[in-house]
Amino acid sequence: MSISSATEGREIGSRIIIGGILAIVSILFVAAVLLFINLPDANAFNARVEQLFIENDTLTGNAEIKLLEILAGSGTAFSDTLSSYRFVIFVLLVFATALLIAAVAFLVMLIALTRRMARIERSGIEVNSLQINRDQKAVYLNDFEFKLTDAAIETLSVLAEARMDDEVLSGAEIESVISGRDPSDCDEAAGATRIKRLRDTLGNQMISELLVKNIARKGYMLAIDKNVIRMD
Amino acid sequence: MKHLTLILAILIGSATVAQAACYADYKAKQDNPLQLHYGVAEIQGDCSVENAASQLLARLGSDGWQLLNVLAVFDDGGLDQRKDSAGEYFLRY
Repeated sequence: MSISSATEGREIGSRIIIGGILAIVSILFVAAVLLFINLPDANAFNARVEQLFIENDTLTGNAEIKLLEILAGSGTAFSDTLSSYRFVIFVLLVFATALLIAAVAFLVMLIALTRRMARIERSGIEVNSLQINRDQKAVYLNDFEFKLTDAAIETLSVLAEARMDDEVLSGAEIESVISGRDPSDCDEAAGATRIKRLRDTLGNQMISELLVKNIARKGYMLAIDKNVIRMD
Repeated sequence: MKHLTLILAILIGSATVAQAACYADYKAKQDNPLQLHYGVAEIQGDCSVENAASQLLARLGSDGWQLLNVLAVFDDGGLDQRKDSAGEYFLRY
C-alpha cells in the first residue's frame, strides 16, 4: 500500500468516525426528545380531578371537596416523581452516548489496526526504527544489531541524512559527500561501489529491496519512513 | 282611607316580592396547588345563570379564584339547604 493511499484511508477513517459520532448523537437526541414528549403531563391528574368536580353536582360537601383536593395533591407529588424520572433518563442517555462514541472509536481503531497488520504481513519486514551508532560502528534495525565497517557506516549515514531531507542521491553525489570533493569530479561508479559494499555487509538482495533501494536514473535512497531514523 | 292603606300595603308587598333576593350556587378553583370550593353568592339584577356567571367571574377573579360553573339560581327558599355544603363560602362573595 502506498503512502498516498494510506493517508486516504486515514481520511476515510476520520470521516467514518465523525459520521458515526454525529449519527449516534442525533439518534440519541431524537430518542431523548421522544421520551420527554411522551412522559405524561403532571397536570393531567389535576385536570381529571377538576373535571370530576365539575361534572358531579352532588360533590359539593366540604368533606368531598377536601377529598378531591387531597387526590389532586397526590397528583402533584407524582409530578415531582416525573421530574426525577426526567433526570434519570437524561443521565442514562448521556452514558449511552459516551459508550456508543467509545464503541465507534474502538471499531475504527480496530479496522485501522487490521489494515495495518495486513500491510505488514504483505510487506514482510517493516523497519520501525533505524538507529545508527557511529561510536560502536553499529546499526540497529528494529531490535537487530548489525556491525558495519567504517566505510559502510559512512554510506548509511549519508543515505539516512538524505532520506530525512527527502532527497535521492546519485552515486556521484554520495561519493562527493563522503570524499568532500565536487560532484562533477566524482565518478558514478565510486558511489555505486560504496552502495554495493554496504549491501554486501548487510545481506545484499533482501537489503536492496527493503532498505537501500535503487531508483532508476535517479540514484539511491533508504526505503523507510524518515520518522524512524535516529542518529547517535 | 282604609282602602288606601290596604292598597299601599299590597303595593309594598308586591314590590318586595318582585325584588325577592336572587342567589346562585357555583364551583370555583385555584391552580398550583389545586384548590376547589363550592359556594353560594347573592346576585344583583337579573336572576339568570348567565348573569350570575358574569358577576361571579369578576368577584371571584379579584381573589384569585377561577369560576368553573354555576349550578343554579334560586331565591331565599333554597338558601338553608345549601348552607352546610357551602360552609365558609356561604354568601362570602
